Amino acid sequence: MSLKNVLDNFSFFTRDAEHVNDPNDMNKYGGQTYEHRYAMAIDLDICTGCNTCSTACYAENNLAVVGKERFENGQGMHWMRIERYWDAQEYTSDYPEQGTKFLPMLCQQCGAATCEPVCPVAATYHTPDGLNAQVYNRCIGSRYCSNNCPYRVRYFNMWSYYDTWPEPLNMQLNPDLSVRDKGVMEKCTFCIQRIRNGKDKAQRENRPLKDHDILTACQQACPTNAIVFGDTMDPESEVSKMWAEHEIRRGPITRRIEKDDKEIRGYRIFDELNMDPSIMYLERVRDAEV
Amino acid sequence: MSLKINRRNFLRMLGWGSAGTALTGCDMPSYITEEEGKEDVVSYLIPEEYVIPGIGVWYSSTCTACEAGCGLHGRVREGRVLKLEGNPESPINNGNTCLMGQAQLQGHYNPDRITAPMMRKAGHLQNVSWDEAAAELKKHIGSDSGLKGERFGILTGTVSGHQAVLVDELLDKVGSKNHYVHETVNTTVWNAVCRDMLGEDNPKYHFEKAGVILSFGSDFLATFGSLVHNMGEYAKFRRQEQRGMLVQIEPKMTMTGGSADLWVPIVPGTEGALALGIANFILEKGWNSVDVPDTVKNTLKQYNLVAVEKITGIDANKIKRIASILTERSPSLVLAGASATNQENGYDAAAAIMLLNLLMGNVGKTIDGAWKANEAALRPRQGNTKDLLLLAKAMRDKKLDVLVTVNSNPAFTAPDVLQFSDGLGNVGFKVALSMFPDETTLQADLVLPLSHAMEDWGTHIAAYQPTEAFVGFQQPLMENLYKDSRGFGDMMLTMLKTRSADYDKFPDYYSYLQTAMANMPGATGTAEERWNDILQHGMTKIKSTKKPLSPRLVDFKFKVPQVNTEYPMYLLPSARLGMWDGRHANIPWLQEAPDQISKVVWGSWAEIHPKRAEELGVKNGDYVKITSASGSIEVQIYVHHGVHPDAIAVPFGQGHQEFGRYAKNRGVNPLKILNPLMERRTGELATHATRVAVTNVHKHEYLVKMGGSESQVGRRFIRTTTPDALRRTRRAEKEV
Repeated sequence: MSLKNVLDNFSFFTRDAEHVNDPNDMNKYGGQTYEHRYAMAIDLDICTGCNTCSTACYAENNLAVVGKERFENGQGMHWMRIERYWDAQEYTSDYPEQGTKFLPMLCQQCGAATCEPVCPVAATYHTPDGLNAQVYNRCIGSRYCSNNCPYRVRYFNMWSYYDTWPEPLNMQLNPDLSVRDKGVMEKCTFCIQRIRNGKDKAQRENRPLKDHDILTACQQACPTNAIVFGDTMDPESEVSKMWAEHEIRRGPITRRIEKDDKEIRGYRIFDELNMDPSIMYLERVRDAEV
Repeated sequence: MSLKINRRNFLRMLGWGSAGTALTGCDMPSYITEEEGKEDVVSYLIPEEYVIPGIGVWYSSTCTACEAGCGLHGRVREGRVLKLEGNPESPINNGNTCLMGQAQLQGHYNPDRITAPMMRKAGHLQNVSWDEAAAELKKHIGSDSGLKGERFGILTGTVSGHQAVLVDELLDKVGSKNHYVHETVNTTVWNAVCRDMLGEDNPKYHFEKAGVILSFGSDFLATFGSLVHNMGEYAKFRRQEQRGMLVQIEPKMTMTGGSADLWVPIVPGTEGALALGIANFILEKGWNSVDVPDTVKNTLKQYNLVAVEKITGIDANKIKRIASILTERSPSLVLAGASATNQENGYDAAAAIMLLNLLMGNVGKTIDGAWKANEAALRPRQGNTKDLLLLAKAMRDKKLDVLVTVNSNPAFTAPDVLQFSDGLGNVGFKVALSMFPDETTLQADLVLPLSHAMEDWGTHIAAYQPTEAFVGFQQPLMENLYKDSRGFGDMMLTMLKTRSADYDKFPDYYSYLQTAMANMPGATGTAEERWNDILQHGMTKIKSTKKPLSPRLVDFKFKVPQVNTEYPMYLLPSARLGMWDGRHANIPWLQEAPDQISKVVWGSWAEIHPKRAEELGVKNGDYVKITSASGSIEVQIYVHHGVHPDAIAVPFGQGHQEFGRYAKNRGVNPLKILNPLMERRTGELATHATRVAVTNVHKHEYLVKMGGSESQVGRRFIRTTTPDALRRTRRAEKEV
């Protein structure tokens, strides 16, 4: 089933995409009709690598603290993590003269996600909000999705982690979402509970959803405001404007992966894989003058 | 106010203040609410006024994770606080937090909290009732106890606002002046230089106006001063029309160093020489915008490029470049942090570094006067390590009969040579006001369970005020988890009441604060309106003044540290954003949050340069023995290029012998092997001056850290560009 799924879904996606030339219609490809397409822009130049986003994510999303031994086995459940790279081969002296490199890595909520078509039970699917959602109740723990994710941002519950919240630590758990049990895959949801709350609030107040109505936990906490979150289908949203300014657009790649315009800083990681990731990074800047 | 104050009522008060309280019981049968024209039946909940089951309500408070005093909003649902966010109204953090602020919840809900008073009986701490504990307290510190004068001491961390007032009042009633204020992570030496050379100990830094920041080990994004504020300003600094440039000079790459445009390693303790060398070069070239007397110029002459290159190990061309950047990118901002100031010559080094600010005319541009609360009694008492040394000495000399420690853990932070724990044995009666069974608390004779900041009232005035001074208001976000815990202010009042009847009119700290806020000068509106306003916003402006800086030169004589052949390496006990001084080691989120530079979790490690690692024959995960004249530790190695080859950096915060299940027996504490060296002028503990010898102990364990690959292997996840590329981005940001 899964191989057929892969082939069907991908050909479906590409077929649609090839026939759509109007960028606005990019919101319809892949057989999806979107209501929103949530996305991010993360500025690597002002990211200080402080890890606040990650801790805020633990607090918001009931992430389990797995402990040293399980962390050693690569079972940490950090939906949002800060990667740090040295790239010593680039050094011109014995020292990293341009500091180090920090990269906040979280689920890229791809438009054509490689994790989705491989799920044998359709536990991971695409929502009308443009998110790769994970249905915990449906997940049987095959881990195909994790295997297929090039960003390594899917986290599998190897154990039951209920005991990592000894009383009264469990009182902190966010009642807006579940605590996942053993055998279930989990991942960043772009704080779907916050999206819901934002939508509900707008509905209660009888008004359309505005930009910045919804803040993800990581974005809210970021001390340098390096993370911008919003709806790319709303052309007036901050994130839309940033995407437009950096000439990143939805759908299959049309512009060169290796841009030649030096004034544009925006890029998407693994753009060449044509998965339409929803997170645009802005290049880190280092003054070559020194 | 006619309302009788008890716990229940003051929690109700909370509700009037901030549009809804969620502190509620759940014992009425059913509840009907009307939403969108529909009727929803929500069973078995009795919401008090304003409470809608399932909907979180946000309350204002103030963060106490470090002494920066950030404003908080806490999300409260069904009587529990679930999430903390920054208060956007606070000029300190502008709605943001750091990871320690986020993680305060796990301090509050920590499973290892002390839940009842404990008293030492037959050598062991045993749970007792509050009545018994209060009687014991009265016996030892009450008016009839005979306790008088300097035989009494209080040890706290940085404290301000009305808590500081109460501490002062208690000391005053006993007739003592012994308020020890201890913080291991501090900027005391730099502040002293600021006071002497600028006339203001906590000046305002305009990061956002600086063309270049030259930082001598100042980890201003992580552990130096008001860090969340600094990070916000740093973002502005980078997004200026001409992007600000950061030059970081330090022996071990700090988190701030990780973001530097130019990172330069330096021999620890020689930062002052480099600063003087840069100053000399600038003066020779005539690039300075403020002139200095010829006597200064003549003293600087000895710091020519050749000499400085020899002392600091930094290439002369690089020194020239730094000097020219300082000139071209003026105005600059020059800062000094722990690795430069926590040396025996720290004051002189900091003075030399401050001299650059004076020379380049930064005073009044990037360093400015700061607002200070007029009410001196409310101003912060900033913590330092000098008081730790003084306290240790007082205890050794048997000068204290009663010591009250408040949420402070000197038995962990004090170096072994101070024999702090033995000293504690010389104190007749030790009272610990504490939340957790830490090293100091477990040696006390009477342990009183302190409420967490999430359950307590308080006022905080931050030392660093970016705008007009304000009082950050800390209000409980939920009821006490444990009925026997008491707030800091409440316990201070309890102690005061044993000395004087003046305080009997205040049933609790809440009523004390209400009275105090009502009597605050400049109050408008009725007391109730004002109080509600404060609770709602989590802060209130107080009268403050700002005086312009008065730059002047001070006499200093910079001395380069001696070479030590027996202990050839420099030990750098570095502070981490997260663990701080070790007070957050019992928070699982922070234990599992990787260190920003090494990415190690749940333990300790030592950072060394690959060159040195090769010499020692060690690789990642191997154990080495670090020996100083005062002791030794064994710790795993993490090898990276961001350390001076002559230095070994061991982050502190781990190595607790007590402090609950998450912290106990985890890692090592490099502070324990420090030599008792002092900064010569200020008397601070010179934490970065200890020399060590490092030996391979031929033992290996996997080093548990995040991420397998140290390099991107050419995959270009993180791309780097030059500042020219920013023009277009900036246009975009302006439009947004």
